[in-house]
Amino acid sequence: MSIFHKIIQALNDAAYIWRQEFKQVLRDEGVLIFCVIVPLVYPLLYSWVYNNETVREVPVVVVDMSHSHQSRQFIRMCDASPDVQVVSHAVDLDEAKSLVSRQVAKGIYYIPEDFATKLNRMEQSTISVYCDMALMLTYKAIYQTAMAVSTKMGAQMQVALAGNYTAREDVITVSPLEVEEVPMFNPQGGYGTSVLPAVLMLIIQQTLALGIGLAAGTARETNPYGDLVPAHPAYSGIYRIVGGKALCYLMVYAVMGAYLVTVVPRMFDFLQIAPWQSLLALMTPYLLACVFFGMTVSCLVRYRENVILLMVFISLPLLFMTGVSWPQSSIPGAWQGVSWLFPSTFGVRAYLRLNSMGASIGDVALELRCLWIQVAFYFGMACLVYGHQLRESRRHNLAA
Amino acid sequence: MIWEIALREMKILKKNPIYGFCMVVFPLLTMVFFTSLLDDGLPQDLPVGVVDLDNTSTTRALTRKLDGFQNSRVVAHFQSVAEARHAMQENEIYGFLYFPKGTTSNLMSARRPKISFYYSNVSLAGGSMVMKDLKTVTTLGSAAVGMATLRAKGATDQQIQAFLQPIRIDLHQVANPWSNYNVYLSTVFVPGVMMLFMFLISAYSLGMELKFNRGKEWIEKADGHIVVAILGKYLPHAVVFLLLISFYQFYIYHVLQFPHVGGWAMIILLSVLCVFGSIGFGIFAFGLMPSLRMSMSVCSLWGVLSFSLAGSAFPAMGMDAPLQALTWLFPLRHYYMLFQITVFNGYPLIDAWFHLVALIGFTLMPWFVISKVKNAMLTYVYIP
Repeated sequence: MSIFHKIIQALNDAAYIWRQEFKQVLRDEGVLIFCVIVPLVYPLLYSWVYNNETVREVPVVVVDMSHSHQSRQFIRMCDASPDVQVVSHAVDLDEAKSLVSRQVAKGIYYIPEDFATKLNRMEQSTISVYCDMALMLTYKAIYQTAMAVSTKMGAQMQVALAGNYTAREDVITVSPLEVEEVPMFNPQGGYGTSVLPAVLMLIIQQTLALGIGLAAGTARETNPYGDLVPAHPAYSGIYRIVGGKALCYLMVYAVMGAYLVTVVPRMFDFLQIAPWQSLLALMTPYLLACVFFGMTVSCLVRYRENVILLMVFISLPLLFMTGVSWPQSSIPGAWQGVSWLFPSTFGVRAYLRLNSMGASIGDVALELRCLWIQVAFYFGMACLVYGHQLRESRRHNLAA
Repeated sequence: MIWEIALREMKILKKNPIYGFCMVVFPLLTMVFFTSLLDDGLPQDLPVGVVDLDNTSTTRALTRKLDGFQNSRVVAHFQSVAEARHAMQENEIYGFLYFPKGTTSNLMSARRPKISFYYSNVSLAGGSMVMKDLKTVTTLGSAAVGMATLRAKGATDQQIQAFLQPIRIDLHQVANPWSNYNVYLSTVFVPGVMMLFMFLISAYSLGMELKFNRGKEWIEKADGHIVVAILGKYLPHAVVFLLLISFYQFYIYHVLQFPHVGGWAMIILLSVLCVFGSIGFGIFAFGLMPSLRMSMSVCSLWGVLSFSLAGSAFPAMGMDAPLQALTWLFPLRHYYMLFQITVFNGYPLIDAWFHLVALIGFTLMPWFVISKVKNAMLTYVYIP
């Protein structure tokens, strides 16, 4: 047989395996759940959860012991701010505390008796802010509002005291140095904008690994010898098995991946800066790496359900290792090393920078290179483990 | 009789290594992962840059001050804003400070120069830390001018302070004065991962009875009393998980000294409720859909969603109303609320009664489905 015929034969076999694998995916409801339904529905659910991006009108209780013009001004200004709402006035700190305990309020503004007296005496006066630290976002809202209002009231007092002649002098007294604050990416500080892109990319990897693992488990369980590779003439070479199976999952995830990175962010108006060329340059190695990663993992499991036990719990640690919840520069070296094993680490980092920070392909070259290395590494691993499975299956067939 | 079934269950746990991994190894790994990842408490020495086109002793002093802050470290000087922005996109820095040319001379001659700071909120924790430091350093720069002027006019230090900052905010970060992220995240996410394992393993062990056709034998061993069968089966599970979660609580509250104003009684109550509620949920999920695959899929999807819907990172009050109601269906939500009210803040248990009742409710949920479980064990055939 000429080499040309051999290639044609191998391609035919690969295409046959591709078809068989796809049939199996469609028949197996477990695989369908993880490869089709979860990638379709989960992003919508997560987007809905984080759709409001930030908390507004955090409830606060006020203890006003001063009962003065200035203290009431402070309370009014805080109440008028977008982030804080004064829900109650308490007579003392104990009553305020009980309101926090009952979850009516998330913080306390305590204005002491001598608040106005001290201000009028031109002494520094104090407002105490007590925050429930169980939630960082509400703590930030309560504290930053108090800071902003106190600075603003302070500026008014400075102007009154300075005895300037012109408006320009007043401005210079209050702030001799003008400071401009520029949040460059994710300007509203939205929680969803920050976390969601990472979640989307992670869903791709996790559902792929779960789907491939479940399909492999089913294949073993339906095989009379518990083998992953069936005894069929088409399944005669490692590369055609790995290639054929990979093509099947790549086909499904070409659609799912496109939906996740282009349709979902548009539906919920999340940031979408990256042009399609950049997304394609990222998603090609990412999907390939995830497919081969999933195929490698799938050989580790004996029963089909075990892959769920293996893959589901690492989702949260993986999210933390991408550097989106906890800055990458603060992740200890050992965990950085572990994170290099997973395609999601580089996929998420590259996607965040391309899509949320407007980086170019050149800016994420390191991540893309790492992804291609993972593609090669996991392809090699998949070939190794499938080669082993193939030998096992041949041995069983010879024995039979 | 319960003992016999428990003994039988222990043999099963010993035989299948996946139980050892999911009930001991993986939960321990998760504990080590979160507590060591967040060991710093707050992100420290985050890389920031400076674009100093003025380059005078004043701007250099501010740069040094920024470098001296605990959360920031000046790693690079850039020639232009475009270059610094590029460094941000390449993930080298999280933010930068920009002094245009003539900043100092304009400042000295009261022409009110403008300086800017830029930061990225794409990583929220990093962004807000860097923002805080950049904001503080620019405020200090502004205050230094006022201070110099007032001192020249002969004001006392007290007068200067009162003039520059008439109202001081005295912040009390109740129970977590360091705003330590380890205290904030590890206390909820690690039990969350353990709950995920408890859901999955509870459903898995029932499903495996079906898969290997042992269901009939199991029920017969309990003389057809399904309650006895369930109690015996889950006794070893509950003991292992209770030991594990107690070890974790001991580790974080005693060894790592996380704040626990509420005291040990509450911690133990919470651990017990966590274990029983989660096992209850797992059995319930299996009873609803007596198929190994479906019940495990539901448990894993529920468990993963609960990290978001617990409302510990993004508050429930920020979600849409239907979602706020939905959070009640997640045991982790009740765990978190009970934890923060009674253990973390040390408020009376009565203020968390709803969540206490909810967790007890999850524990009792199998009651609704045990007849279905029994039926499944006696009649169903496993379909792969």
